[in-house]
This record gives sequence, structure tokens and C-alpha cells, in this order.
Amino acid sequence: MRPKQRKILQNFNFNMIQFERFELKNGLKVIFHKDTSTPMAVVNTLYDVGARDEQEDKTGFAHLFEHLMFGGSVNIPSYDAPLQNAGGESNAFTSNDITNYYNVLPAQNIETALWLESDRMLSLAFSPKSLEVQRSVVIEEFKQRYLNQPYGDDWLLLRPLAYLKHPYKWATIGKSLQHIEEVQLDDVKAFFQKHYNPANAILCISGNFEFEYIKQLVEHWYGNIPGGIKPARILPQEPKQTEFRKAVYERDVPADAFYYAFKMGERKSEEYYIADMLSDELGKEKSSVLYLKLKKELQLVTDINAYILGSLDQGLFIISGKMMNGKSMDELDSALWEVLNEFQLNPITAQELKRLKLKIRTSREFQEQGLLNRTMNLAYYELLGDANGINEEHEIYNAIEVEHLQELSKQLFVKENCSLLQIKATQSHE
Amino acid sequence: MNRIEAPRLKEIDTINFIEPRKVLIGNIAPFYSIENQGSEAARIELFFKAGTIIDRPVLASLCSGLLLAGTSKESATDIHNNIDDLGGFFDINLSQEHTVVSVYALNDQIIPLLTIVMDAMYNASFPEAEIEEQIADKKQRLRVSYEKVNFLCQRDFQKRLFEGTNYAKVTEIEDYETVTRSEIIDFFNSNYRNGLLKATLVGRLQEKQLIEIEQLLEPWAGKEVTNDTPIFKQQKGNYHIEKTATVQTGIRIGRIMFDRKHEDYHGFVIMNTIFGDYFGSRLMKNIREDKGYTYGIGSALAEMKDNGYFIIGTEVGAEVAAATLKEIQFEMTHMKEQLVDKEELELVRNYLLGQALKSADGPFAMMDLFLGVEMHGLDYSFYNEALKKLKQITAVEIQSLAKKYLVWEEMLVITAGQQLID
Repeated sequence: MRPKQRKILQNFNFNMIQFERFELKNGLKVIFHKDTSTPMAVVNTLYDVGARDEQEDKTGFAHLFEHLMFGGSVNIPSYDAPLQNAGGESNAFTSNDITNYYNVLPAQNIETALWLESDRMLSLAFSPKSLEVQRSVVIEEFKQRYLNQPYGDDWLLLRPLAYLKHPYKWATIGKSLQHIEEVQLDDVKAFFQKHYNPANAILCISGNFEFEYIKQLVEHWYGNIPGGIKPARILPQEPKQTEFRKAVYERDVPADAFYYAFKMGERKSEEYYIADMLSDELGKEKSSVLYLKLKKELQLVTDINAYILGSLDQGLFIISGKMMNGKSMDELDSALWEVLNEFQLNPITAQELKRLKLKIRTSREFQEQGLLNRTMNLAYYELLGDANGINEEHEIYNAIEVEHLQELSKQLFVKENCSLLQIKATQSHE
Repeated sequence: MNRIEAPRLKEIDTINFIEPRKVLIGNIAPFYSIENQGSEAARIELFFKAGTIIDRPVLASLCSGLLLAGTSKESATDIHNNIDDLGGFFDINLSQEHTVVSVYALNDQIIPLLTIVMDAMYNASFPEAEIEEQIADKKQRLRVSYEKVNFLCQRDFQKRLFEGTNYAKVTEIEDYETVTRSEIIDFFNSNYRNGLLKATLVGRLQEKQLIEIEQLLEPWAGKEVTNDTPIFKQQKGNYHIEKTATVQTGIRIGRIMFDRKHEDYHGFVIMNTIFGDYFGSRLMKNIREDKGYTYGIGSALAEMKDNGYFIIGTEVGAEVAAATLKEIQFEMTHMKEQLVDKEELELVRNYLLGQALKSADGPFAMMDLFLGVEMHGLDYSFYNEALKKLKQITAVEIQSLAKKYLVWEEMLVITAGQQLID
């Protein structure tokens, strides 16, 4: 989506995030962001592989693999110790779309991070002990986050309701503990061969350096890693949803909970930005539409939120919350649809739109305070197609008009586009 | 090329500490500010004395949630609309010793935002309906927390460790049944009005704007009451909270320690880092990276006014909870009996130096660093002392600190989950 007008923009003094870019012969894309104000450096590596690239009978694998990336590489027995010895720290996360690794360390020791990070791109140690231990660790993570928490498995239930074919139907942690238990070392090797090569990665470096120095370091440490082929991604396509879906589960929790999941556009579509703003308007703050009507006025819920998943493929627009004791989810259901229908007829005022944009601007300014955030975001935008997207996005938000929000709400908030998960509490409280 | 050998490391030679500008609001409460160059982001934090230890914790909790809940002229919704019009955000954080009200906005909007927040607080009317709603929400949240082993053991740990003092007080469902509106209003009048102990700003404002902030805050300024610090008795023993149908067990282990003014403080922090306070710590290496019993385990020296406590926390597979306790005990013994080898000590030295550099990176981090010493009546020389200690400490000194403090028999041990299996 391109901006249509730039009126509001002139009021703001935007700090562009500067960066430079180059590519090695083996296909590794590199972004460099110079920041003269910090003594620290960040080395961030994004691999274009996530839980959506897993086989349906081996789910949770991309995430387990991320753990194994810290289990030693071909020439270096320990990943963390040398980095700590250089005053640094490392971590990573896996999503349904990507796997992202980052190191934060004092700038003068940046070479240590490049040495470590390039060696594990070259090859892992594939130690059987590491697989056994990390299998147990991930099983405990599964329990800690999904099984041993009230409402912890909600997303494990919601995903297969909202997606029938696309691999978004399972969570990054996996469908079940069993899949984690069955992983073999050969699976690990094959996954590495396929997905972990320079052509499938984006390296983003930031700190107070000269560009030439970074180029030379990267060429030195990464230049001779064999190129590999960027794997083709052919995923099962999600058919267009044409019927309302509903699932109800009973759980030993204190209050009923609900999730309305509406299908929405992918991350790169115009719709993503409009939906982002729409979710803010409906359910982000204590002045939002759903909060005012369903909580303050009707007192049906204790908690209500609207948010989107910024998935690279078709995403979800979520409205979720918990019921006030004594109120029924049927009451909530009719009230919610009434609010959504009303919103389609009378969306928002120009003043409300203006403040949504100002809030997005404020959030962005705070997010960009952190060097790590900026570095990760540059890599992510490069994956989306162009790192400079980070500087262009505000124009896209600024070009959104009331009519865009209205149109999208008409398109999203229809029953056939909705999957509803209800959690019925078996505990009763007065 | 040589991929086996690590690139040569370079020493961190200096860390720059920035002294905030300081003025007194109403001649009593300090107002600290640090300039945020090259950014539009501004934050103001207000520290009120309204923490949970000052009275029944349920009052502090409800009162903090009702600060922006309406005045005689404006409803809660009006106030939130006004905040949103400025593109601003706020949050209110309750701890044992303070309630901190924070506002976030772009530089141009921060004073209008503060004006709205202070006005809403000054004229807060605590409407009945808002109180009822707060109570319903908080009761539900507490019931959800009761389902978490983590919450259950943390809370029991707090109740037992601080037994006999206000720090041990927690809120139960019943407390919400008995609380009255006039108690909440009394709490507000005694702990917010003339209860602003200090304020901070990170942002880029003109001198005259800083004066404007001081004027806005002046009616609130108060002085910290110097209560006698409670005397904590060392509590020890093992306690289990049974929660059936759980697949993990929560664990908390700890003891009363000291604050930043104690002579063993810097040494203990280094010893504790080796023991349990970073990803490569003894506890992580053994219990996560060797046994795979947990997703994470850590230990820390937690700080209070004039005091502190040591705490180990984790959640582990229900079937390995008893085995985990044995391994923690083993690691304590190991710290006491074996000298830390040179390589490990050197690594932790370097790691902590790097972390110190990071903790001073940027104006927001710098303000937090400053508050970390200010709350104990110290200054930046404290960090220079810490760096000096880091360079000088020996394995023998670390061992003697472990012998002095890591004594299993003196620890309070709380577990929550299924019955422990030996």
C-alpha cells in the first residue's frame, strides 16, 4: 500500500534509521546499522524457517532445533561460554514463520560473536547428549508454558480450529509432547542441511563501527561458508473459510474465557496495517470500543482485548477476554456481534483516527530506543522484502482513513469468517 | 583460517556514568532528570510511598488501580480519552515499598499528559461503581493466580521468610469482601497526598519545562517516613503446598541477607553470579543443561530498603522435584568445598564487566542505574567499588562467602505441586 497523502506527516520529525546493505557470493544478505551513541554491538541472524516449515508428523521441530544451535558447533564445543567471556549474552526465538538468533556484547569484542555465529552456520556438532538434554528442556518448557498454567493450552486448541490445512494449525512448541519425544539425530541433520545455509539467512549488525570494517569482518568469517540453495517453500494453502466454527472445552479454571478468531490478510498486505489500527481502536486501551461497551457499560467481562497476529501468511484478528462471574458467554456473544455491526455502520471520528496514529508514533519511538529492537526489526523488514520498510511504515499508517477501517471491519466481522473457542470453567465462584 | 581459536578479547576500560540534574520539589522531594538526546521519547516516573507494607496490601492494590478512575467532573473514560488524545501511555506499578506511576509520551506531549494525570489524581473521587469493578477484576485475577504453582510457592515463601513483619502480608479473596470505600480514600489521603517521595524524567525538555513539571508536582511532595526497619528472623525448614493435577512443581529457596551497604555485598553478587545468576551458572549447567529437569533456574540477591534476601527459583517436572532439591544442595556444597577455577572466575569477571557496560547504555538504563544507588543513599562510587571488587576478588574469597551464606540447613525451602516423590 502506498501513502495517499502526507499532511499529518509534516507535523512529525522522523528519525530515519540509517543502514547499509551488501551480499556475499554465497548468498548471505548483510545489513549494517551504525549507532555512534552506544558502547554495545548487536549481531542478529534471522533464518527464514519457522514452525510452518515442519512436517505435520514432526511438529515443534524448528523450535527444538533452535535449542540445539546452542549445543556446540563444528569447531567450537560451547556457544555461550566464549560469548560470556567476551562480556556478551545470546538468545533466540522461534515463531511460526522465522527463527531469530541474537548476540549483545561490548562493541570491541564483536569479532567473537561473528566467529561463533559463523561457525554454527557452517556446521553444528550434532552431539547426541545435546539432543537428549534439549529434548527434556523443551518438554519442560511445554509443560511450564502450556500444560501447567490456567488457560495455558488455549492456543493449542484455537489454532487447529482456525486453520484446517495451513501449518499455522500447530503452535511453535508443537502439537504434542510425543512429537518432541520422537525426534532423531538424523532429523536434526537433515533440517540443518535444508534450512541453515547463507542463502536462507539475513545477518544484521549494529554498533559504532565503520562500514568497511564490518564488510571485511563478515567477508572473513562468512565468505567461505558453502552457499547452499534457498529451499523452496510450498505450503498447503488454507482454503477460504466459508462457515462459522465453534469449539467448547471444559477446564478447571476460575472463569470462562473466549477467543474470536477472524481470518485476515498476510503481513505484506495493505490489510495488515489497517487491521493493526482497527485492533487498537476496538480493544487496546481503556478508551477502546469493546472495553467501553462490554466491560464498562454492560459489565459482561473482566478483561477484553483485540489484537492481530502479524503472520507472514494469512493471519488472525483476535478478540479475546474473560467473563465476569455470573454472566454467560451467550450474552457476550450477542452483545459482541452487536458492537461489531454497529462499528461497521458508524466507525470512528477523525479525532479518534488522529489519536490512533499518534499512539502508534509514540510506541514506535519507545521501541526504537533499544539497539537490539532496531537490529532485529531491520533483519525482519529485509525478510519482508526491504529493510527500509522500517522507515516507510509510518507513511502507510498515516495514509489510513476512516473508510479503510470501516471497509475492513465489514469484510472481517462476518460469521463465516470466524472461529470461536470457548473455555468453560468448571470451578464455580459466587 | 583459524576457527578453533577465539578472537583476541579487548578489555573494557571505562564506563561513563551520567549524573542526573537534581532539584528539590517543594524543598523535600528530589526530582532527577537525564536528557534523552536524539529521540522524541520521554518518560516521567513518580514514586509514592503507597506500597503494600504500609497498611493492608488490599488497600494499596485497590487504591493504585483507582487513581485514574474518575473525578467529580470527569469519568474514568473521559480521563483515558484525554490521555489517548495525546498519544500517551501510563502504567502503575505496585511493590512492597512504593507505588510508581509512569507516563510515556513524545517530548511535546509529556507535560500536557502529566497535567491530565495529576489533575485526575488530585481530584480522584473513587466512585462506588469503579471500586466494585476493580474488586471483581482483582478477585478473578487472584483466583487465576491460585492455579499457578509458581504463584503459590512464591507467596508462601514471602509469608514465611518475612514472618512477623509487614513484608509478610498478602491479599486473600476474603480481604476484598471487607474493604470499604472510606478505607481506600483514607489510604489515598495518607499515602499519595504529600506522599511523592521522588520523581524522574528522561526526555529532552527546556529548562522552563522542567520548572513547569516541578510546579505540577509540588502539591504532592512529601518526605519518607523513617520507620524502624523491621527485624527479620532467619526462617528455615521445608514446606510443601499440595496442588494436585500439576505436571510441574514450583520451588523457592532462600534466606534473609543484606542491602548494598553491607561489606559482603559486592563479593556476594559475584559469587551468586557463578552459582545461579547467568545462563552459564552452576545451577543452569547442572539442572537444565545436564539433567534437563527444567526450562530455567536462577538465583538472585533481591533488594529492599535497608535489607535484602537471597532467592533461588524454578519450576521443574513433578517427578524430578525431589531430585532437583538434592542437586541444588549439591551445588551449594560444591561452592563451599571446591575453589572456583581460574577459567570460570575469569569468564564471570568478563561477563559482569560486559553487563555493567550494557546496564549503563542509554538514558533510560542510566536512570535505572542511578535509582539503584539513590534508593540506598549511595552514589555512583558504589559501581566503581563493584568494578574494583570484580578485578580483585579471589577464588578463596568466593569460597569463604559461599561458606558463610550458602548453608543449606539455614535455608527456607518451599515447594508447590504434587506430593514430592523421592
